[in-house]
Amino acid sequence: MAGRGEVVTGGREAYFFIAPLLLFVFAFIVFPIAGTFFSSFFSDVTFMGKKFIFLSNYTHAFSDPGFRQAFGFTLTFIAVAVPLELFIGTAFAVILDQELPLRGLWRACVLIPWAIPSAVSARIWQLIYNYGYGLANFIAVHSGLADGPVNWTGTASGSFIALLAADVWKTAPFVALIVLAGLQAVPSDLKAQARVDRATSFQVFRLVTLPLLKPVLTVALLFRTIDTLRIFDVIYVLTGGGPGGSTTSVSLYAYNYFAGGDFGYGSAVSMLLFMVSFGLSWLYVRLAGFGEAA
Amino acid sequence: MKSETTERILLWAGALAMAVFCLTPFLYMFAVSLSARPDQIGAGGFTPANYATVLGTPSLHFLDYLRNSLIVSALSAIITVLIASLAAYAITRLEMKGKAVVLFFVLAVSMFPQVSLIGYLFKLMSDLGLINTYAALVAPYVAWILPLSLWILVSYFDQIPRELDRAAIVDGCSPAQVLYKVILPVALPGVLSTALLSFIFAFNEFIFALILTTDYSARTIPVGIAMFQGLHGEIPWGNIMAASAITTAPIMLLTAVFQRHIIQGLTRGAVKG
Amino acid sequence: MKKIYLPLLAAALAAFSACSKKPAELVFSVGGAPNEIEVWERIIKRFSEEKGVPASLLRQPTDSDQRRQGLLVPLKSEKANPDVFLADIAWIGQFAASGWLEDLAPYAAKDGTDLKPFWPKVVDFADRYNGQLSALPAYVDAGLLYYRTDLLNKYGFKAPPATWPELLSVSLKIQAGEKKANPDFFGFVWQGAQYEGLVCDFLEFASSGEKAIAFSDGVVKLDTPENIRALTFMRDTIAKNRISPPNTYTEMKEEEVRTFFQEGKAAFERNWPYAWGLHQQADSPVKGKVGIAPMPRFPGGTSVSTLGGWHIAVSRFSDDKAGAWELVKYITSPAVQKELALELGWNPGRMDVYSDKEVLKAYPHFAHLEKIFANAYPRPNIPYYTQVSSILQRHLNSALSGASEPGAALKAAESEMNEAAARYR
Repeated sequence: MAGRGEVVTGGREAYFFIAPLLLFVFAFIVFPIAGTFFSSFFSDVTFMGKKFIFLSNYTHAFSDPGFRQAFGFTLTFIAVAVPLELFIGTAFAVILDQELPLRGLWRACVLIPWAIPSAVSARIWQLIYNYGYGLANFIAVHSGLADGPVNWTGTASGSFIALLAADVWKTAPFVALIVLAGLQAVPSDLKAQARVDRATSFQVFRLVTLPLLKPVLTVALLFRTIDTLRIFDVIYVLTGGGPGGSTTSVSLYAYNYFAGGDFGYGSAVSMLLFMVSFGLSWLYVRLAGFGEAA
Repeated sequence: MKSETTERILLWAGALAMAVFCLTPFLYMFAVSLSARPDQIGAGGFTPANYATVLGTPSLHFLDYLRNSLIVSALSAIITVLIASLAAYAITRLEMKGKAVVLFFVLAVSMFPQVSLIGYLFKLMSDLGLINTYAALVAPYVAWILPLSLWILVSYFDQIPRELDRAAIVDGCSPAQVLYKVILPVALPGVLSTALLSFIFAFNEFIFALILTTDYSARTIPVGIAMFQGLHGEIPWGNIMAASAITTAPIMLLTAVFQRHIIQGLTRGAVKG
Repeated sequence: MKKIYLPLLAAALAAFSACSKKPAELVFSVGGAPNEIEVWERIIKRFSEEKGVPASLLRQPTDSDQRRQGLLVPLKSEKANPDVFLADIAWIGQFAASGWLEDLAPYAAKDGTDLKPFWPKVVDFADRYNGQLSALPAYVDAGLLYYRTDLLNKYGFKAPPATWPELLSVSLKIQAGEKKANPDFFGFVWQGAQYEGLVCDFLEFASSGEKAIAFSDGVVKLDTPENIRALTFMRDTIAKNRISPPNTYTEMKEEEVRTFFQEGKAAFERNWPYAWGLHQQADSPVKGKVGIAPMPRFPGGTSVSTLGGWHIAVSRFSDDKAGAWELVKYITSPAVQKELALELGWNPGRMDVYSDKEVLKAYPHFAHLEKIFANAYPRPNIPYYTQVSSILQRHLNSALSGASEPGAALKAAESEMNEAAARYR
């Protein structure tokens, strides 16, 4: 869109119009990141003097088992959660794209998990998994699936699955909306043509729709990857990173250092996360930019 | 014909499964919030006691959190939309170098992990004495939500025919006047959905509020509910679910009523979320 | 860069922030449960009236980590307020090492305040740091064993168990009988979730006093037979011997433990003294059926109660330190300490209140506390305690969950804690 539209007036006003935006973005995002970067070269702990230590925080991170565990967890979680989100989201989109009575209501249904604060929904999930009186154990015990109550968040894998359910529940709707927009852009005469050729609905989807959805799915995949990379809220509330630190994400790990008063190391950890995220964002911007600008 | 019936049945089954998946946690939340004990849902009838406790106990500070959230989110949404409309107007209408750079730069910025800002923001706001004030939250929220708003508004503004601007300029309007007399009224639905989305984003934000507030004077609902403790530090599930229900009910209503606008805004903002 | 940036931002943001700073007013920062805050509100108001020093209360949340954070902000930026605050015993080392706490010894010496009535062990362990008196105890806390007197009688036990193996066998016996009528019944509930309380409990299971977690010159030795025995025992209460519920290491904190016991679902409970008053409330199913005893030990070890509690300190950045000292004296005075005990069941920081008739009438169990406080041991008083504690919590919890063996968990914790100590010393 940029550069495409016809320019109506000219002059220096443009810079005044855009200045507030840049001011905010620089003051509260770019500067803080530069500050964090700067801090990451210091030993900066509330109860110690500030000292320049150059890369020591970074070298420490690489040998720090806690950081490695957090990084490993975050990558594993992305690898499992994002494909699942895309799959469920696409399925939802296909359903929402059909002719159903009260279309708006179905869409609102899907929107709601996305719209409410994840800290609040994580609390609901926390209660669902509660050992003594949660819904999950109620169902498990009363349906006979388990002999007794299950300690859902008691093992690393149990906590992982608990987080996965809560996260996919919250984010799949978002994927559904993007894919839905993509679906609606698929020309209906293409589908009709395939219908005439006696293809089943599934064949139409696989052979006609899916290839056309590829750009949308790629963008969703990248976006969800970047967003999951910084996952924090749901973990902070639901498992607190436990048991034994097994579900601590990199964001939570860095946060714990900030909260404990070690700003230098917290900064280094969050800069490492930032660098990975930055690389992916760059890729994302390039992909999202296709067909938009240029 | 037969395969069409099967497909119909499959579709309905899928749609119902989808609704169950999305809504079960909420129904559970309402059920617990209306029960006397979380482990005996509906035993002995339903009671509004949890709502009464949450709303009627000043020391639980739920109403403080709610008020803070509403003020912070509303301020953030208004400021964001104002600033983003100015910028979107410049990008779609005015002559300026590096428009694409600005657009993609802010898009990239919005993808950064929040945790890489909080250490610095915390120190900055402490130095300025702004911890536990609305300003400490509104400022980063605005910066954080601006990219999304900009993208949505650019796509709306871009669709408005240039003839309208030209007519206004011929009538002697300055660019600022063109913006608020012509563009904003015409793009009103777009502006509204941008404001709505900005509000929701600010309302849901967690990590900034967690580190930039330490008490109830500016603490927002998500942090308030995450930290909710009873009189002796216990976790009163009934109260928490009542608080969650009071928080989510308006958001649910808002999304149900404005779902068309929200979906349009979200998909317009390229695929930013 | 920062020099220009800050005033600019301050000017831009000043429009939002409500300015409510009243000069020359003593600010006392305190958090806690709502009923506690109400009592504090009253005490501060009376102090203002009696002493003619304007003072106000800065309310903090209930959550202990949040309270620490709330103090960190003004202290780190050297703000004049709060002047006086309550600090958890575990923070004093960090705060003192950061140079945030005013030395109270000169003030006490100057007006001849007698420090002898304060629990000497508590003051020595927690409040003296590098030769200065950083704080004074306002509330002393120590771990206790609560037991059901009726159940011990029913199953023929005369006294509460003195050792951990005894606790295990007694629990197994009671549990076997009680589970018939009440399948949710467990022998012993304690704090196993991944948080500070887990470290407190660990010290008590270890039954080796301060030695369990002792830093000397920034080096800690955790991988000891006593510690392995303790952690193995802790783990086995859950999965092997099943005298503690399966969610012990995921959900059990003070209040979860307290309510579990109070609902009549356990024979023994490890908790702080505050639980006593709640167990004796009119609607409590265990009212009148609860006894308290010192924590059990391993044969050859000593009974250990982990020392907790809240201490009152003066900020070094206070703009009215003389007034602040007056407030410290007021709050630690026998009258106010007695009031806190009667109103909130707080265990006074000074010994003389424990023999007060009125207090003993309301809280007969105070008579036993003296013995227990004598066995109280502190957690390490080092500035980087928070950092090493979070490492220890993670590894202890991992061993409880069965993800790692006790020996390996302690070894890993030891090496990570030593590394952290080297970084933060």
